[in-house]
Amino acid sequence: MKEVMLDCYGEACPVPLVKSQNKIKELEVGDVLIVQIDHSCAMKNVPEWARKEGYNVEVEEVDDGEWEVIIEKTK
Amino acid sequence: MAEQTSTASSRRSSANRKPKKNQIPLGFLTVAFIIIVALLLNIKSSNMAFFWLTGTAFGFILQKGRFCFTASMRDPYLTGGTSITRAVIIAFAITTLGFTAIKYGYAQAGLPIPGMSYVVPISIATLVGAFLFGIGMVIAGGCASGTLMRVGEGFIMNMIAFVFFIIGSLWGAHDFGWWKEWFISKGPSIFLPDVFGWMGAVIIQLMVLLILYVVAEQYEKKRGGAH
Amino acid sequence: MEQKKEKFFDRMKSNEYYIRWGKNPFTYVTAAVLLSLFQIITLATTKSPWGVSGAFATWGAWIFEAFGGSVDKWYYFASPGAQATLEGGILNHPDSWRNFGVIFGALAATLLASGFKIKKIKSKKQIFAAAIGGLLMGYGARLSFGCNIGALYGGIASLSLSGWVFAIGMFAGAVVGSKLLVKYFMT
Repeated sequence: MKEVMLDCYGEACPVPLVKSQNKIKELEVGDVLIVQIDHSCAMKNVPEWARKEGYNVEVEEVDDGEWEVIIEKTK
Repeated sequence: MAEQTSTASSRRSSANRKPKKNQIPLGFLTVAFIIIVALLLNIKSSNMAFFWLTGTAFGFILQKGRFCFTASMRDPYLTGGTSITRAVIIAFAITTLGFTAIKYGYAQAGLPIPGMSYVVPISIATLVGAFLFGIGMVIAGGCASGTLMRVGEGFIMNMIAFVFFIIGSLWGAHDFGWWKEWFISKGPSIFLPDVFGWMGAVIIQLMVLLILYVVAEQYEKKRGGAH
Repeated sequence: MEQKKEKFFDRMKSNEYYIRWGKNPFTYVTAAVLLSLFQIITLATTKSPWGVSGAFATWGAWIFEAFGGSVDKWYYFASPGAQATLEGGILNHPDSWRNFGVIFGALAATLLASGFKIKKIKSKKQIFAAAIGGLLMGYGARLSFGCNIGALYGGIASLSLSGWVFAIGMFAGAVVGSKLLVKYFMT
């Protein structure tokens, strides 16, 4: 059970999604990946991908135009 | 979804964060600015005001929908997602119906059909141009409309892309004569109703869009399983 | 007064309709339907579909002329229509106003959702990516009579075969662009 931060501030689409996809492969079941983004499109496509994969997902707006997508690798 | 993920947010402490500023008043100011500009333009030309207002509508919708033509072409290959691709296909289908209705109306009335300047010659220049455009938009993180929209959202990167887009356009315009002489002038302009008739063209186009939609969805399902 | 105003806008943040229409993004399909609606309105009123990148070449010409250059001999700007546009200036150019509109419409949407932030450059790679990508898009759009909006969306919806040819070329470009992005431009 570890928590991994992935800093994607300032990254444009599709980089946050590609990085998240790569990172989650390294994690084990039960680990949590927190993707920090400020790209408004990534705030939609990262959660969409993670939900489709069947992970638990939550999006938190941490500041104006900044979000954290919290993904729990469930399988 | 909410009950499954309640643990996730409780982990995070947001104590050390500065309080969020409320930007809504600024949003209303921007809307007021848009309206004032429209009124000023309207004094000079209502056409100009119309272009301005439809532009703001397009920008607003693109931003609210996170609608990205770049993603519709890029994501199927890069990330395996096709939800934007399918939305673009829906937009194409609806707009095809609306456009054809307008065009057909003009044709029936014996008037010149509007929008025919968008039926352009097909040549190797079309493919080369589209190919270069495709590479550029993925690297720069947005096509023409996407770049404008992201300039409005405050992306410095897209502002740089915007400047170089203009330079590239000027360069392309400079070379346009050469391309025109060697390729474009030899290419045919094909308006589908001329080939298949009005009804035939619409039906064929909608069928193709429908097939693409189904293929996109099936492709996503297949690729999703591979992870 | 100030205080009251603040409170009003803070209360608004929790309003159900604000959250639905002001804060949360539209679904892709909602946006698709709305874009179609405005495309159809645009064709019906202006007799031409929505175009974006054509105006960029004109802006380039204005800037070039501001630095003392001349585009009068260029085939692209040789037509009387193009010359009239160049002489009319940016304030009399409807397509330019529509492009400004896209920027301000997006800005309004972002601010109303209280989500505006200046996104700074993270690495030098991004500058190269933006510059190279911008140049390729600009050049490519001129060869194929437009961008995703004019040549692709406008072309296909206008029942022009050129739109479909553009789509094929662009898809191939997007695949190559994705490979380049992952290999060279991802930090």
